[in-house]
Amino acid sequence: MHLKYESQLREPLVMGNKDYHQVTEDIVHPIEAKPSKLWYIGFYIAVALLLFGIYAIYRDVTYGIGQWNLNKTIGWGWDITNFVWWVGIGHAGTLISAILLLFRQGWRTGVNRAAEAMTIFAVMCAGQFPIWHMGRVWMAFFVLPYPNTRGPLWVNFNSPLLWDVFAISTYFTVSLLFWYSGLIPDLATVRDRAFTKLRKKLYGIASFGWTGSTKHWQRHESLSLVLAGLSTPLVLSVHTIVSFDFATSVVPGWHTTIFPPYFVAGAIFSGFAMVQSLMVIIRKVFNMEDYITLGHIEAMNKIIVLTGSIVGIAYLTELFMGWYSQNKYEGYTFWYSRAYLFSPYGWSYWGMMACNVLSPQIFWFRKMRRNVFVTFFMSVIVNIGMWFERFVIIVTSLYRDYLPSSWSVYYSPTIWEIGFYLGTFGLFFTCFFLFAKYFPVIAVAEIKYVLKTSGEGFKNKMDKIEEQPLDTFIHDNAHAH
Amino acid sequence: MEQKKHWQSFGELNQSAAYNKDVKDEFREDLPAVEENMGLLDAKAPRRDFLKYLGFSTAAAAVAASCEIPVKKAIPFANKPEDVVPGISKYYATTYVQDGDVVSVLAKVRDGRPIKIEGNDLSPLTGNGTSARVQASVLDLYDTARLRFPLINGQEATFEAIDKEVAAAIAGPVVILTSTLTSPTTQDAINQLLAKYPGSRHVTYDAVSYTGLLLANEACFGKKAIPSYHFDKANVIVSLQADFLGTWLSPVEFARQYAAGKKLNEQKPEMSKHIHFESVASLTGSNADEKHLIRPSETGAVAVALLSAINGQEVTGIADKLTKEAVEHTAKALLAAKGSALVVCGSNDVNVQLVVNAINQAIGAVGTTINWGVTFNGRKGVDSDMARLIDDMKAGAVGTLLIHGANPSYTWPQAAAFTEALKKVKTSISFASKLDETAVACKYVIPDHHYLESWGDAEAKTGYFSFMQPTIYPLFKTRQWQDSLLKWSGATTDYLSFLKGYWSAKLGGETGWDKALQDGVLNPATPIVAGAAFNGSAVAAAVSAISAAKKGDKIELVLYEKIGIGAGQGAANPWLQELPDPVTRATWDNYVVVSPALARTLLKIDLNDNGQADAYEVNPPKKVVKVTCNGQSVELPALIIPGTHPDTIGIAVGYGRTERLGKSVVGTGKNAYPMSSLNGNAVSLVQGNVEIALTSETYPVALTQTHSRYDTAQGNRTEVMKELTLAEYKKHPTEIRDERAEELAPWGGLENFEKQGTIYPVYDRPGIRWGMNVDLNACNGCGACVVACNAENNVSVVGKPEVLRGHEMHWLRIDRYFSGDMDNPNVVFQPMMCQHCDNAPCENVCPVAATNHSSEGLNQMTYNRCIGTRYCANNCPYKVRRFNWADYTGADSFANNQVGIVNDVVLDMNDDLTRMVLNPDVTVRSRGVIEKCSFCVQRLQESKLKAKKESRPLEDTDLKVACQQACPTNAIVFGNANNQHSAISITRKENPNRQFYVLEQLHVLPNVSYLAKVRNLEEEKKEA
Repeated sequence: MHLKYESQLREPLVMGNKDYHQVTEDIVHPIEAKPSKLWYIGFYIAVALLLFGIYAIYRDVTYGIGQWNLNKTIGWGWDITNFVWWVGIGHAGTLISAILLLFRQGWRTGVNRAAEAMTIFAVMCAGQFPIWHMGRVWMAFFVLPYPNTRGPLWVNFNSPLLWDVFAISTYFTVSLLFWYSGLIPDLATVRDRAFTKLRKKLYGIASFGWTGSTKHWQRHESLSLVLAGLSTPLVLSVHTIVSFDFATSVVPGWHTTIFPPYFVAGAIFSGFAMVQSLMVIIRKVFNMEDYITLGHIEAMNKIIVLTGSIVGIAYLTELFMGWYSQNKYEGYTFWYSRAYLFSPYGWSYWGMMACNVLSPQIFWFRKMRRNVFVTFFMSVIVNIGMWFERFVIIVTSLYRDYLPSSWSVYYSPTIWEIGFYLGTFGLFFTCFFLFAKYFPVIAVAEIKYVLKTSGEGFKNKMDKIEEQPLDTFIHDNAHAH
Repeated sequence: MEQKKHWQSFGELNQSAAYNKDVKDEFREDLPAVEENMGLLDAKAPRRDFLKYLGFSTAAAAVAASCEIPVKKAIPFANKPEDVVPGISKYYATTYVQDGDVVSVLAKVRDGRPIKIEGNDLSPLTGNGTSARVQASVLDLYDTARLRFPLINGQEATFEAIDKEVAAAIAGPVVILTSTLTSPTTQDAINQLLAKYPGSRHVTYDAVSYTGLLLANEACFGKKAIPSYHFDKANVIVSLQADFLGTWLSPVEFARQYAAGKKLNEQKPEMSKHIHFESVASLTGSNADEKHLIRPSETGAVAVALLSAINGQEVTGIADKLTKEAVEHTAKALLAAKGSALVVCGSNDVNVQLVVNAINQAIGAVGTTINWGVTFNGRKGVDSDMARLIDDMKAGAVGTLLIHGANPSYTWPQAAAFTEALKKVKTSISFASKLDETAVACKYVIPDHHYLESWGDAEAKTGYFSFMQPTIYPLFKTRQWQDSLLKWSGATTDYLSFLKGYWSAKLGGETGWDKALQDGVLNPATPIVAGAAFNGSAVAAAVSAISAAKKGDKIELVLYEKIGIGAGQGAANPWLQELPDPVTRATWDNYVVVSPALARTLLKIDLNDNGQADAYEVNPPKKVVKVTCNGQSVELPALIIPGTHPDTIGIAVGYGRTERLGKSVVGTGKNAYPMSSLNGNAVSLVQGNVEIALTSETYPVALTQTHSRYDTAQGNRTEVMKELTLAEYKKHPTEIRDERAEELAPWGGLENFEKQGTIYPVYDRPGIRWGMNVDLNACNGCGACVVACNAENNVSVVGKPEVLRGHEMHWLRIDRYFSGDMDNPNVVFQPMMCQHCDNAPCENVCPVAATNHSSEGLNQMTYNRCIGTRYCANNCPYKVRRFNWADYTGADSFANNQVGIVNDVVLDMNDDLTRMVLNPDVTVRSRGVIEKCSFCVQRLQESKLKAKKESRPLEDTDLKVACQQACPTNAIVFGNANNQHSAISITRKENPNRQFYVLEQLHVLPNVSYLAKVRNLEEEKKEA
C-alpha cells in the first residue's frame, strides 16, 4: 500500500485492473513471442531504405557533393535541413525523461522508454548529415581536438560547427546513458523470465547483474536523478547551439538573436510530434492501450499546441523585426523570399505556417486532443511543417543574400539527396524495430512504480475512501483475504 | 632549343595508341576473371566468385584505405639545360597573332613550358593590356584536338611526301587565301610564291569584314585602309553600332585609350562623353554614358541625320522623336568638341561609312582623333574579292588554293557553295592547325605552328612592329606555313633565316635583330599624326542611297561577335567558352538576344512582373524561338537582355562548329553565319525581314548571373554598388562619401567605424598590408582578368552542365548590374573577387581553421586542411568562395570517379597534354575543398623574395597580380596599402570621394576598395 494518495479526479495512468505480474506479462510478452508479419514487413522496408541511403552516401563520398544540387550560393540544402530536423526530433526523449522526471510528472512513465529510444536514434540519424555532407569526409577527424602529429594545427573554437560537435556528442552520450540505465531493471526482468540459455546469458550481460536489491534500487534512483540533472540543461543547450550555426553568421535570415529559444521550442514541438506518431502505432500494434492511454496522448497534445504557438510567435516576431529593423537585406529575406507567397520559395514558408502554426490550434479542443486519428495525422503534419521550417531558414536565406549578382537558380534536390534522407528514415526505423523486438518498449519498473497510485484498478479501490468510513476502508483493504 | 631530350615526354605523345596504352597500364593488372559487361550472377560459379570478390574487395578496400595517393615522381635533369633554373620562370617577348588581331605579349615560360601570356609594356599600342582571347591563347597550344601531323587526303603523311607531291601538283594560277596578314616577311614570302606562278593572286578574307569601311575610305581618302583612331584624344565619342571595346577592330588598344578619357581626377572632374547608338546590347553600349536604341536599318538614317545636323540643316528621315532629339543633341555635343570628337561606325555598308567619314571630316576628327599617318593593318579583307574567288574556283580558274587563317566553309554566307567550289580546285592546301570546316575539304593539310612555337613578325599598325619567337619546341609534327611557302617557291632558306635576314638588314645587323626580338616590339621614334585629303564627292550619292533604302521590317536581326568566341576562333577554347559573356552573363552557348519589350509579346514574359521575372531567372531552361531569315532557320533559346531595341534580335556567330575542333564545341550553340548575306561588295551581318516564332521547347542556358538589379522591393542596395552622374558629382563631390557616412552612422561613422563597429579589440596591422582598388570608371567588363585568373591560378573548367548548376569555379567574376529604365538601362560592371576582409566572416566559422588570416591581410585558404563543410561559402557576403563539387582536376584520392557530372570538356582539361598549361606554383585543388582568390599569393611571395634578396623594401614595380596585369585599362591597382608611396595608397588618398567598400556596413573590413562609377550625364540620376 503506497502512502501516496492521488485524487480521483486525475485520470488513471494505467488502465485495467492490473497487478505487477500482469504488467510484466503485457510489456515483456512481445519480446518473447515471435514477431508479427507486420513487424517483418516494416523491418524489411526500413532495411531497404537504409541500404538505399548507404548507396546514396557511397555516391556522395565517391563522386563528390556535386551529386547533390547545392551550388555556389546555396552551400547547405537538404543536408543541413535534415540534420536540424532530426536533432529537433531528438529533443523529446530527454525532455520527457529528464525534465518531466524532475517535475514529478507521473504520466511520463508510459512513454519515456520509447521516447528516449527515439531520441537516440534520431540523434544518430542527425549525426549522419554533418558527417557525410563534408567534401572530404575522410578528414572528418580534423574536427576532434586531440593531441596530434599535424603540427600546431588545432580546431577553431570560434566555429559554431565545432560547438555542434561537442554539443551533439555530449547529448548523445548522456541520452544513451540515461536510456540504458533506465533499461537495466527491465532487462533483468527479461533475463529472469528467459526460456533459453542464450537469452539468459545475453540479457544477463546486458542487465549488469541486477538483482533488484534495495541497495541497487537506491543507487539506480540516485543515478536517474543525477543524469536527469545533467540532461536538463542539455535539452536547452543542444538546439541552442544548433541555432548558433545560423545565428552567429552574417547571412540575412540567419543572423537573428531570437534563434535559441525559437529553435528549442521548435525542437520540443517536433520531438513530441514524433513521439505521438510512434506511440499511436505502438499502442495499437503491441496492444498497449492500457499503458499509453488517451490521457498520455492528451498531455502530449497540450505540449504540442503550446510549443507550436511559441514557434508561431517566433515567426511573427521575425517578420516584425524584418520590417522594424529597416534592414533592407533582412527585409528582403523575410518579406519577399519567405512571406511573399508567389516568390520562388513562398510555398515553403506558407507550408510551414500552415503546418506549424495554424493546424496545431485544433488541439485547443479536448475532443481533438483525445482523438487518436487526429493526433496521428497532426503529428505527421507537424513534422512536415518543422521540416519546412528548417528548409525555409536555410534555403530561403541563402538563395538570395547580399549581392543580387549571386542569387541562385532554383534549388531542388537530386535523387541522392532525397536518398540520403530516406536512408536516415531507414536507419531510424531499423533501429526502432529492433528496439521494439528486443527491449521492453515501456519502462516496466516505472509503470509498476505508479501502478499502485495511478493504476485504474487501484484507483477504483481507492474510490471507496470517499464512501466508507476510514476504519472500514482500512479494515477492508489492509488485509488481503 | 635543340635538346630534344628535354622534350622527350612530348615525343611519346606522337607514338602509337598502343604505346600510350602500354605506358599507361604498365603497372596495372586486370582483376582475374572479371569480364567486362558481365554481371556478378552471370558468372559460371556465382557463389564462389561472389566470395572471391567479397574477399578481394574487402582486402582492396583495406589496402586502398591505408595507402597514400600514388606519387608521380618528378625526375630532375641529369644535365641541367643552360639558362633554365627549375622553378624560375622566364619571360619571352612574342606576339599574339590570330588572323588580323595582333597583341604584343610576354610569354611566361616555366621549366620549358609557356604557361601564361602577359601584355608587353613596351608596346605603345596595347601596353600591358590583353584581352580574354589573348589570355586564353596559351591553352590552344596544348589543345588535344590540334593536328599532330600533316595529312594527305585525310591520311597521315610526312613533310617529305607532301613537299614532293605538292611540288608536282602545284600549278597556276595559284591563289593564296588568308585572313588579314600583318606580317611583312610573310607578305614577302607570299609574293615570292606568287611571282613563280603567273596569274596568281593573294586573296584576303576576314570572317567579319570591314569592307564598308575600307571602301568608304578608298573613296574619301584614296586609301583602301583603316586609319588609327585615338579615343584618348576625343572628348566626345559617338559610336554607331561599333563595339570598339569588345570586338571592333582593335579593342585592347581602344579600351586603353578609352579608359584614359574615362578615368576621373577628383580635383578636376572632367571626362570624355560617349554617346552610343545601337540595336543589340553590346559591351561598348553598356559602357556608354548615353545610349540610344535604334534599329539596325536606321543606322544609315541616323548617320545622315547627324551629318545634316552638324551641317546646320534640318534633321529629316528620323521618325522616332527620341532618336531625333538624340541626334540633334549628339550633333551639338560633337560640334562643341570640334577637333576633339570622334564618330565610329560598325556598319559594313559602304554608304553609311561614307557618311560617317563626312561627319568626321566636318567635326575635325581627321588629323586629330583619326590619324591617317599610321594606318591600322588588322583588317584588309574585302568580301567581293572572296566572292570573285569562289566564282573563279567554280569556273575551274584556280589551279592551286592555299588557305591560311580563313575558314570560308564555316564563315562564308553560302559556305556550302565555297565547299562545293573547293572540290573543283585540283590542289587545295590548308595550313589550319586543326581539321576545321575548310581544312577537312582540302587535299593537303599541313598544320601550322601555334604562335608560341613560331617565328614571325607583325605590323599591327604602319611602323609599329611586333616580333614573335618560339617559346617551346613544336609539340607536334607541324611546320610554319611560311616555311612551306618558301620551299614551294624554290627558296633555299627557311623562314627563320629569311626573317632574320630581313630584319638584320633593316636593323643594322644581328645585334639590332636580337634587341628587337628581346623587346618584342619596334616602334617609330616619334609618333606620327597626320590627316588626309578628304574627297567628299561620293557622299551625296551615299546619302541618297541611304534615304532610298527600304526601311526596317518588323523584326531585324543582328549577327554579332562575342568577346570570347570572336568569329569562331575561340569556340574550341574551354576557358573562353566558360567565360561569361560580359553583357548576357551566359556561357557555353549562343542564343537569341531579345529585348524586354519583345519578350512581353513573343515569350509572354514580363520582367516587370515579379513572379514572371523570378520564374525566368531561377529556371535555367529558357524558351526556344525559331528565327527564319534568308531561307535559313535556326532554333535557339531566347535570353532577355535589357538595352536591346524592341524590334531587333541578336545572335552571336562563332558557334555550332565542327566537332573535330575539340570537346568544347560539342553541343554548344548553333551556326548563325548562314543567315548573313552578301550585299554588293560586303557581307552583311544585319538582316531585315526576319521571322521569329515561339516554339514549345525549352533549352537550358548556363548563366552565371541570373539577377541583374541591385534595387529590390525592400530597398535599393546602394551598399553593393555606387554610381552617379558627372553633373551630380560636380554639384556635390562628396555625395558617395556622405552616403557611406550615413550608412555607418550608427557605428561611429566613417572615422570610428572600425573600432565602434565591433565588440572586439582592434589590432594593429604593421608591415605589409595588401590592398586592391578597382576603378569602376575604367573597368569596361571585358573579361580579360577573368581568363588571366583562370590561367594563373589553375582554375578548373567545369563544363556547361556544371555551370548550369551554379558550380562554376571562377575566382574572379564581373558582376553586371542594370539600373534605371529596364528597356534601356544603365549598366555597370563590378569585378568581384575575394575581398580579403580583415574581419572575415568565413574565417571564424570554419571548424578546422582551414581559412585564416595572414599577418599581411590575406584571407588564406589551406586546401589540405579543408574538410569541405561549405560554411565559409555560406557566410561569405560576396559569394566568392568556390567548392570543388566533383573531381574536376583528377587530383582526387579516389580513382576513376570522374564520371557523371564531369563531362568530356573537363576530362580533356585533365589530359596530360592540356595539363602542361598548369601553373606549377599553384596547387591543383582536389575534390571536396573550397577555393577562392588568393590575391595571387604565389606572385606576392615571389616579389617579396626578390625584394628580400636585394635587401630593400618591396616596391610596386616588384609585382602585379594576374588580373591587374591583364587589364587593358589598368582599372585594378594592387599593392601594399601600408606603404604611403604605393600606387594603392595614392589611389585611395586621391579618390576619397568616390572610394567605397562593398557591403561596408557589415564590418567585415574588406581590403578591396572600389571607385564609384561616374557617368558623363547632365541630368540627375534616374530613379529606379
